[in-house]
Amino acid sequence: MLPILSAEHVTRTFSIGRGADVVAVQDFSLDVATGELVCLLGASGCGKTTMLNMFAGFIQPTEGRVLLHGEPITRIEPRCGVVFQSYALFPWQTVQGNVEFGLRMQRVPADERRRRAARFIELVKLQGFERHYPAELSGGMQQRVTLARILAADPEVLLMDEPFAALDAMTRQEMQEELLRIQEASRKTVVFITHSIDEALILADRIVVMSARPGRVKVILDNTLPRPRHVTIQLSPDYAALKAEIWALVESEVHRHGGEQGR
Amino acid sequence: MAGRLVIKLASVAAFLLAWHVATTTGAVSSVFLPSPAQILAQAQDLIASGDLWKSVLISSERVFAGFVLAGLVAVPLGVVMAVWWPAKAIVDPFVSLLRPLPSITWIPLTILWLGIGEQQKVAIVFLGSWIYMLFYTLAAVQRVDPLLVRAARNLGAKDVAVMWQVILPAALPGIIAGLKITLAISWSCVLSAELVAAQSGLGALIWQGKDWGNLPLVLVGMVAISITVLIADLIAERIERLLLPWERHRRT
Repeated sequence: MLPILSAEHVTRTFSIGRGADVVAVQDFSLDVATGELVCLLGASGCGKTTMLNMFAGFIQPTEGRVLLHGEPITRIEPRCGVVFQSYALFPWQTVQGNVEFGLRMQRVPADERRRRAARFIELVKLQGFERHYPAELSGGMQQRVTLARILAADPEVLLMDEPFAALDAMTRQEMQEELLRIQEASRKTVVFITHSIDEALILADRIVVMSARPGRVKVILDNTLPRPRHVTIQLSPDYAALKAEIWALVESEVHRHGGEQGR
Repeated sequence: MAGRLVIKLASVAAFLLAWHVATTTGAVSSVFLPSPAQILAQAQDLIASGDLWKSVLISSERVFAGFVLAGLVAVPLGVVMAVWWPAKAIVDPFVSLLRPLPSITWIPLTILWLGIGEQQKVAIVFLGSWIYMLFYTLAAVQRVDPLLVRAARNLGAKDVAVMWQVILPAALPGIIAGLKITLAISWSCVLSAELVAAQSGLGALIWQGKDWGNLPLVLVGMVAISITVLIADLIAERIERLLLPWERHRRT
C-alpha cells in the first residue's frame, strides 16, 4: 500500500552566514502508513522540528523529497495539520472562533461550522469556554484548543511538534491520554515529535530514534505494547524492557555527541 | 485605591491653596500670575458667552479632520510598506527627510497654498501626524508573529484571508496604540497653527489673551486645552477597549 506520508533521502542544510552551512537533517527516509502514530524521538537540536517543517511544507528539503500520497509537498500543505508547541492560537478570537478558523477557510456554512466546532470543543473537554479568549485559559487548555482547531479542520495527517512539552507533568499525562483516545477513535495518521522516551512509548505505533546532529534515522522500532493504551502501561514489564532498549540507543547518541563537542 | 484618590485630590487642593495664597497676599504679582479666582471668573464669562465652547469645538473639529485624513493615508500605506518591500523602498527616503520637520515649519507654505482658513489648520494637523501613524503602523505589522501566519496558512488561509484575518487583527493593538499617541501630537499641531494665524480656536484664544494683556484668559485657554485633550484621550481609550476586547485579559 502507498504510504500516506514519506520522506525520501531528505537532507536539509541551513546557511549560518559567511558561506558556512549546518546540516540539520541528513539522508532521512521514512514511510508513514495511514492511521499510524509515528514518534520522532531525539535530543533537542537533532533536526526533528526541521523534518516536521518539511512535512508541513513550511520549508523545502535541500536534497531528496517529502511526499503526501506520492506527490511532492512544495508549499504549505493544509492536509498536514500542525499542532505547534507554542500553541499559535489567534489571541483576538475566542475559543469558538479559533476552532472554526479552518472551517471558515474551507468556506463551510456558518451553522455547519458551529456544529462541527461544538463537537471538537466537546472532544477536548472545553464546553463552557467557547466564548473565552486564549489569554484567559491555562496552558493545558490552550493546547486543547489548538488540538480542537486542527481536528475541526480535518487534515489527513496531524503533525505534532512536542505539543505537551511545556505542560506540567499531570496535564501532560491527561493530554497524552486524550490524544490516544482521539487517535484511536479517528484513526488519524499522526507524526509526533518528542524528546521523551516515555511519551514515545505511551503514544507511538513506531518510534523513529534520531541521531544527534546531523539528524539521521538511527533505528526504527515497532512499539509492541498492546492497544488500546493507557498511561498505566508504564507499569508493565514490557514497557520497562523497551524503555531500556531505547535508552541504550539514545545514550550512545548522547555520548557520541558529547564527545564531538568536547573535541 | 481609594487612598490613592484621596492623596491625588489633596495634592491638587494643596497646590491650588498655595497658588491662591501666593497671589492674593501679593507674594506673586498678578501681572505675572493671576489668582485661581480670577481665572475662574474669566472662565465663567467665557462659558456664559459661549466662546469657550465654540473654541473647544472648532479646535476639536480641526484635529478630528486632520487626524482622520492622516489615518486614512498613513495606516494603509504603513500596512503596504510592511508587507511589500518595494513600497517601503519607494516611500522611505521621503519619510526620512520629512520626519525631522516640526509641523510649524509647514505653516508658511500651507498659508501660501491654502490661506489661513480651516483647510490650512487641517493641513498642519495632517502634515504633523501622518508620519507618526505610518511609523507605528509599520512597526505593528512587522511585529506580527510569523508563527500565526504559518498557522493560518496551515489551516488553509490564502493571501487575502491571511491579510484580513491574521495580519490586520494581530497588528491592530499596535496600530491603535500608535494612533492614541499621535492624537496628542495632532493637538499640539492644531494649537501651534492657531497661535500663528487664526481667528478662532483654543490657540487663538490664548493669543488674544496675550494681545489684550488678559492673563486670566491665557490661563483659561491653557486649562481648556488640558481638559479637552484629556477627554479626547478618554474617548480614545473607550474606543480602544471596544475594538480590542481580547486585550483586556492580557493586561490583567
